[in-house]
Amino acid sequence: MGIYRSVFDIIGPIMIGPSSSHTAGAVAIGRIARTILPNKPTKVIVHYYESFAKTHQGHGTDYAICAGILGYSTSDERVPESRSYAKKEGIDIRFVEEDGSSPISHPNTAIVDLTDGEHHAQIAACSVGGGVIEVRKITLLGRTITPTGPLPIVILLTKKEADGEQFSNYLESQAPFSKKAKLDADGLFIFEYDIKEYLTEKIRKELAEKFPGILCL
Amino acid sequence: MYQTIKEMIDQATREKKLLSELVIEQEIKLSGSSRQEIWQKMERNLETMKEAVVKGQKGVKSKTGLTGGDAAKLKEYAQKHEPLSGRTILEAAQNAIATNEVNAAMGIICATPTAGSSGTLPGILFTLEKKLNLNHEQMVRFLFTAGGIGLVIANNACIAGASGGCQAEVGSASAMGAAAAVEAAGGSPEQSGQAAAIAISNLLGLVCDPIAGLVEVPCVNRNALGSSNALLCADLALAGVTSIIPVDEVIMAMDEVGISLPQSLRETGIGGLAGTPTGQNLKMKIFGEDDD
Repeated sequence: MGIYRSVFDIIGPIMIGPSSSHTAGAVAIGRIARTILPNKPTKVIVHYYESFAKTHQGHGTDYAICAGILGYSTSDERVPESRSYAKKEGIDIRFVEEDGSSPISHPNTAIVDLTDGEHHAQIAACSVGGGVIEVRKITLLGRTITPTGPLPIVILLTKKEADGEQFSNYLESQAPFSKKAKLDADGLFIFEYDIKEYLTEKIRKELAEKFPGILCL
Repeated sequence: MYQTIKEMIDQATREKKLLSELVIEQEIKLSGSSRQEIWQKMERNLETMKEAVVKGQKGVKSKTGLTGGDAAKLKEYAQKHEPLSGRTILEAAQNAIATNEVNAAMGIICATPTAGSSGTLPGILFTLEKKLNLNHEQMVRFLFTAGGIGLVIANNACIAGASGGCQAEVGSASAMGAAAAVEAAGGSPEQSGQAAAIAISNLLGLVCDPIAGLVEVPCVNRNALGSSNALLCADLALAGVTSIIPVDEVIMAMDEVGISLPQSLRETGIGGLAGTPTGQNLKMKIFGEDDD
């Protein structure tokens, strides 16, 4: 199965320019980063590597990631002004150009570190072209998960290991996955799944209703 | 899901179906959405493309001032002169440049497959709309065919300039457009494949060297090249010219060339035109001396 699984990955997205990988893809990275934290972040640090480090200014990558963190879509007119909106919402967001190669082996890499004061999370993502992204590393509750990369990725946090197994069975029937990982984070279990196909809105809604607190990236 | 272009062509030929039809059927299967939903989504993309072309032809300017206003210049030129490259090519260039000028000015566009190469398909499509009197359905189908070809390229090679250079962006877009143009003109699926193969072959090795890392120079004009190359390759294929190297192998070659390109020529704003004295000076002027 390839990374691209829909004709609309190629024809689309509808977006504010100028770059699908450095702008639209960056919005997608911001949105995913926002999703893994339970509350609105107060402080965000974005580390850029390789092409992202060299050209983020010209491509509007800063405001794009910021727009994603605010939950904007790629075609939202507020995307270019997102940094001032973030300021108004009390989100402190900074950007660092890192030297050297991407730790996740892709020229368009951003590592997003975020905290809401109480929780801390990190994702290492890359923008592979046409607005499509991969998430190759996620740090949650001090534990690091390494998904294959392509979305969607589903994460369940649960105190009961048995709940996770039950969820696995349900997920397999609704949205088959190619890989499953389980981590024990001091009494809390993290179950992570690499889903084979894109999730329809209907399945996303169903999952969210049946299993509150799951993360659908 | 189609792993190769050959698979698509063989099935279309066997079942006497248009490539666009196979792509629609594949999308229904993959997404679980209805035919109507998928069709409407593609219509919205088409609408966005049309709006960008109209906006760009009126003349937009990017924030840096590096690009903008050239689509309007071409329009005026064509009204007063007989273009050397012919009316079709000039109009394709005008539509392509209009779209990329809107993109550079942070306007709304539809990425096809990327934003940097977003002008190539509209350049071809809105020119053929007039030339072949395409109806609405044919125009939507054009995008499905183009998208289906692009999907195989993206999964077997790449479509990002940072990974494969401009050949992966404008080269892919040109191949997608050439294949779709053949279908729109009534050519066979086999001819679509030939057109795509020749289109990529012609642009193999094209580097991604944007000045100051901006999607402006040389990206805007390269989309004019992508559109005109696609029309030329569609004509070659319709005339019966074939590519000695099969299309799927051409895609493999593009991937291999992309991997071999040095990082300085893969969307880093370091080499090529970006590295020239003028390119470096412009970068300094736009971002100041501290940026490196």
